Amino acid sequence: MNEIVQRVRALLCTRLKLAGAVAEINDETPLFGPTGLGLDSIDALELVLGLEKEFGVVIEDRATAIKVLDSIRTIADFIQSQGKG
Amino acid sequence: MGRVVLVTGGSRGIGRSIVLAFAEPGNVVAIGYRSGEEAAAGVLAELRGRGAEGMVLQADVTDLAQVRSMVEALVSRCNRIDVLVNNVGGSRDGLLTLMDPADWDAVLDLNLKGVFHCCKVVTRHMLAERGGAIVNVSSLSGITGLPGQTNYAAAKGGVNAFTKALAQEVARFGIRVNAVAPGLVATEMVAQIPATQRERLVSRIPMGRMAHPEEIAAVVKFLASDEASYITGQVIQVTGGI
Repeated sequence: MNEIVQRVRALLCTRLKLAGAVAEINDETPLFGPTGLGLDSIDALELVLGLEKEFGVVIEDRATAIKVLDSIRTIADFIQSQGKG
Repeated sequence: MGRVVLVTGGSRGIGRSIVLAFAEPGNVVAIGYRSGEEAAAGVLAELRGRGAEGMVLQADVTDLAQVRSMVEALVSRCNRIDVLVNNVGGSRDGLLTLMDPADWDAVLDLNLKGVFHCCKVVTRHMLAERGGAIVNVSSLSGITGLPGQTNYAAAKGGVNAFTKALAQEVARFGIRVNAVAPGLVATEMVAQIPATQRERLVSRIPMGRMAHPEEIAAVVKFLASDEASYITGQVIQVTGGI
């Protein structure tokens, strides 16, 4: 699981070019909205694509995206639940 | 390198001219059609005669599952899709007070929901490739309105706004989205307008004539090309000066 978390962190750094900010947040910090990393909906699209390419997990709908992309932890949990990673 | 192009509604009218505009050696052009199988086969033969590759793909764009099958058939053969032209369209004109709600729904589904379906499926592939061009064939009716076309004008106006919004969503990923809004074009669809009304419409065109379908196709081709690499989110009017 730790390895998946590290790979998700690396993905955030490379895809969103946020190396500094990602190093400062913990695994439960909200990625979106003013209280967290402050990502926007276009960043979400970038993440969906990155997760598909890196881990082979497909996020098809908005409800899943909201649930899965909440934090580094929820992303890692989703990848594991799909048997990927 | 040639390009992989999908033109919906490519069997006749403006769509046929768009398919043929992309008919160059190296290109693969997929001709989407709903019911005109014979006409689509004819366009495919012309396409091949000009040295391009192609295929015909049957789908009703109002059905998302059929759109998925159509796009998968193309991508499984070519591994990518570079250009999507959403050309499918059609009208069921009538005054609003007398308009059957079924005619409202049918026109909105065909002209607007179909664009949503095709873009939703195709952008997934373009995003993965981080590049592509989408051109929506809209209508002047969607900008100025036309009496008897509240449904069609609403749908095409929706396509114009959709174009601008999607362009902003995907610009960062190297995908451009534009629309062409033709005025009156000499096609079967316009031929259905009663002659006296058609003449009245033509008399309002400063250039004094309808467009040839090829004149619309040329603009679509330009917007899809690298020549238009800095143009996105635009609705280009091709109207003879209206």
